[in-house]
Amino acid sequence: AELRLSHQWSSKDVRHKVAQIVADEVAAANVDLKIKIFGSKSLFKPREQYRPLSRGFLDMSVLPLSYAGGQRPQYNLTLMPGLVKNHDHAARLSESPFMKDLEKIMAEDDVMVLVHGYLAGGFVGKDKCITKPEDVKGLQTRAAGKSFEQMLAGAGASIASMASSEIYNAMQTGVLNAANTSSSSFVSYRIYEQVKCYTPASDLALWFMYQPLLMNKTSFEKLNEDQQKALLAASKKAQAYYLEEAKKQDAASEKVFRDAGVEIAKMSQADFDAWRELAKKTSYKAFVDEVSDGQQLLDKALAVE
Amino acid sequence: MDPLFLGGLVAIATILVLFSGVSVALGLLIVSAGFLLTFDGFRSLELMPEILFGKLDNFALLSIPMFIIMGSSIASTRAGADLYEALERWLTRVPGGLVVSNLGACALFAAMSGSSPATCAAIGKMGIPEMRKRGYPDGVAAGSIAAGGTLGILIPPSVTMIVYGIATETSIGRLFLAGVVPGLLLVGLFMVWSLYSTWRSGDASRLSAGSYTWAQRFEILPRVVPFLLIILGVLYAMYGGIATPSETAAVGALMCLLVAMIIYKLWHPSKIWIVLRDSTKESVMILFIIAAAGVFSYMLSSLFITQSIAEWIGTLDVNRWVLMGAVNIFLLIAGFFLPPVAVILMAAPILLPIITTAGFDPIWFAVVLTINMEIGLISPPVGLNLYVINGIAPDISLKTILTGSLPFVACMVLAIILLCLFPSLATWLPDIVMGKAI
Amino acid sequence: MAGHSSAVAAHSGNNAFLKIVERLSTLAGWASAAMIVIAVAITCQMIVVRFVLNGSTVWQTEAVIYLVIASTLIGLPYVQRLRGHVNVDLIPISLSPGPRFILAILTLFLSILIVLVMVFYGWEYWAVAWDRGWRSDTVWGVRLWIPYLAIPVGFTLLLLQLIADFVALILCIDKPFGLEDV
Ligand code: NA
Ligand code: NA
Repeated sequence: AELRLSHQWSSKDVRHKVAQIVADEVAAANVDLKIKIFGSKSLFKPREQYRPLSRGFLDMSVLPLSYAGGQRPQYNLTLMPGLVKNHDHAARLSESPFMKDLEKIMAEDDVMVLVHGYLAGGFVGKDKCITKPEDVKGLQTRAAGKSFEQMLAGAGASIASMASSEIYNAMQTGVLNAANTSSSSFVSYRIYEQVKCYTPASDLALWFMYQPLLMNKTSFEKLNEDQQKALLAASKKAQAYYLEEAKKQDAASEKVFRDAGVEIAKMSQADFDAWRELAKKTSYKAFVDEVSDGQQLLDKALAVE
Repeated sequence: MDPLFLGGLVAIATILVLFSGVSVALGLLIVSAGFLLTFDGFRSLELMPEILFGKLDNFALLSIPMFIIMGSSIASTRAGADLYEALERWLTRVPGGLVVSNLGACALFAAMSGSSPATCAAIGKMGIPEMRKRGYPDGVAAGSIAAGGTLGILIPPSVTMIVYGIATETSIGRLFLAGVVPGLLLVGLFMVWSLYSTWRSGDASRLSAGSYTWAQRFEILPRVVPFLLIILGVLYAMYGGIATPSETAAVGALMCLLVAMIIYKLWHPSKIWIVLRDSTKESVMILFIIAAAGVFSYMLSSLFITQSIAEWIGTLDVNRWVLMGAVNIFLLIAGFFLPPVAVILMAAPILLPIITTAGFDPIWFAVVLTINMEIGLISPPVGLNLYVINGIAPDISLKTILTGSLPFVACMVLAIILLCLFPSLATWLPDIVMGKAI
Repeated sequence: MAGHSSAVAAHSGNNAFLKIVERLSTLAGWASAAMIVIAVAITCQMIVVRFVLNGSTVWQTEAVIYLVIASTLIGLPYVQRLRGHVNVDLIPISLSPGPRFILAILTLFLSILIVLVMVFYGWEYWAVAWDRGWRSDTVWGVRLWIPYLAIPVGFTLLLLQLIADFVALILCIDKPFGLEDV
């Protein structure tokens, strides 16, 4: 049997490597199962993967679940400011009742999780460091994710929406003063050439995005027992790798920025708390207002130690 | 089935379907549907509308209708004539000055329009009849405008550069800048050829018009000012931190519409409708091809054809310049039959990995590709500029236009060779303005 | 002359059906042009809000994208009517009237078939977005059935125009491929 896996990243990216590990392990297991990887958005555009996946046109995909937040607003909790504190916390969240609830929702769309994983990100400022809410006041800011836009708007930032590929030019010409996205995107778009200060994810980070390897449930159930076992074993191995690499990404991006002569800023506990207070009033509130069982789901997420 | 063999089948089917005379966009959809149905199953047809919509779901595409509106609003006024007349008054003493003025006017107009047919129409409406009246051979009159019009997609703004930027995720601002020097080079080559051929034919004196006084020369300058303002305004908005390149297009469109309405008194609704109708016609045509070519490239990727071709070429152990030569011949042939945007969207996903692996700069390659597409614009069977010339001067035969534009095609080939020898012709300006390439 | 320069806008004659379709397609053309103009206005407004007022621009980008898509899809029938969709007419031109007529019937038939596919699945896709209340994943959160509506509506109107072209061809009101000069 042959399965088709789609993602949006280059072959150097950790998320491609996660997919590759699963493909290689399954091939090595000799269970007559082959995974064909369509990387670099060569099959579907990033935000268009969830629908074909849920209808079985696509068997597997590594994608930020919040991309499907317009179809399942509950998924917006997977990119919520301050909900995840660090990578180990993220790993605990992946095993929590909160994630079980999300997986139930995915199952309604005929989707299941093979590999859990969160990646972190930070802030860059063209002229100054961004660590606390007051820092973004009056800045033209590009945020990654709806909840972050809501929180930053609450802090008095002006929100400019554009594709992440446009950040570099917009920073260069001065259309944009600040941006927030994942550590790996900051590096791959060479944002360090355009900014004065970088606030990477460290022991405390605001921006965590859940980017699992998903599979169409029916496609999985169609496989024979050996194939399913091989796939699950491969996924387990990939998940351990994903967590280790996710931790390394932040430090690696920090080094790239430091080497490029960019100032590195750190968020204090007080800064983090200030952001989280703000998020409660803005993005958490908007989420609860929008989603009927939102409060309950949010509480479950917040309950994870 | 072997993906490479499948790729051959797709190529044959595409040629057959497109040559039947069906519109290019629908033809691409028909071929895509046929192969998806056969090899991916009936259900895959279900995805087509969603993929088509997705291909259009891109903010940068906004700039295509905008840059077309810029061109067609100015083209509907006597602005093109003003431009060309101003140049002519200053160049009367030059043998073949009229052709040179027309080429110069095309280049200036190209800086306001993202499309080649619009550039061709704007200058040709006045230029072709005038050249014929003054005794220039039909071939020279039609050929120079057909070729000069192609500058519309090389000198920024450019619709094809936008499409390339989207397809390959390269900076549109950088691509625009990369077209400037090669554009000027091409204008230069065109002009040198025109001067030479007029001089050679020996009747230069008959061709030069009556001389103008200095008063007449200066009197016309203010009429050129609005264009310079528009061009400078667009450049300032794009590189001065006011807007992203895609957004700038809207500023340009608004400025051109206002200039047309206020300075050229184009405020009658029926006249504005003609501008909008012409731009809608061209931009819908181009955007539909973009959407359909997107579905086509989904089909190629889904059947693993794109990936296999790229892999296969990667295994060929050939000299990079032999590879570049082959790529150019492929582009040239594709350009004969297809409009530029279709070629770029279908070829970019396959060619770009090959090009970058071979160590070529994608920005530089965009310029080479664009010049190839320019040749396609003035070659049958699908030559958008030829249609325009035919509309302006229906009595000039296709053969005459082609013979007339042939020397200019030679100039374009020469420009490609020069670009290969001196890649910095394309990369120097973007590097100066925007810093080293990312 | 190769090219559609010799192909002129479709004729309607005195046929009522053709006239109705002509009106619809023209109306669609106006709508398409209007949407582009609105997109220009919104983009300029966005630049002013951001550059002059230093304010947030949350909805503009998305609105402009959907307007351009809708303008393209709704504009399809109008451009078809004007014979503005580029084709390679090397072979049709070189054929004698008989085979040319047959080829025209064949290509129109294929075109109608593919557009039928787009219409059918376009409506289905729209209905799913409507049923499940899909929204875009932005702060603005547009109900997606609104922009998606452009797919079925645009292609349905294009289908009508293609059928009208087919009828006009059969009734000899219009020439094959709109080629007048033979
Ligand atoms: Na141009
Ligand atoms: Na051609």
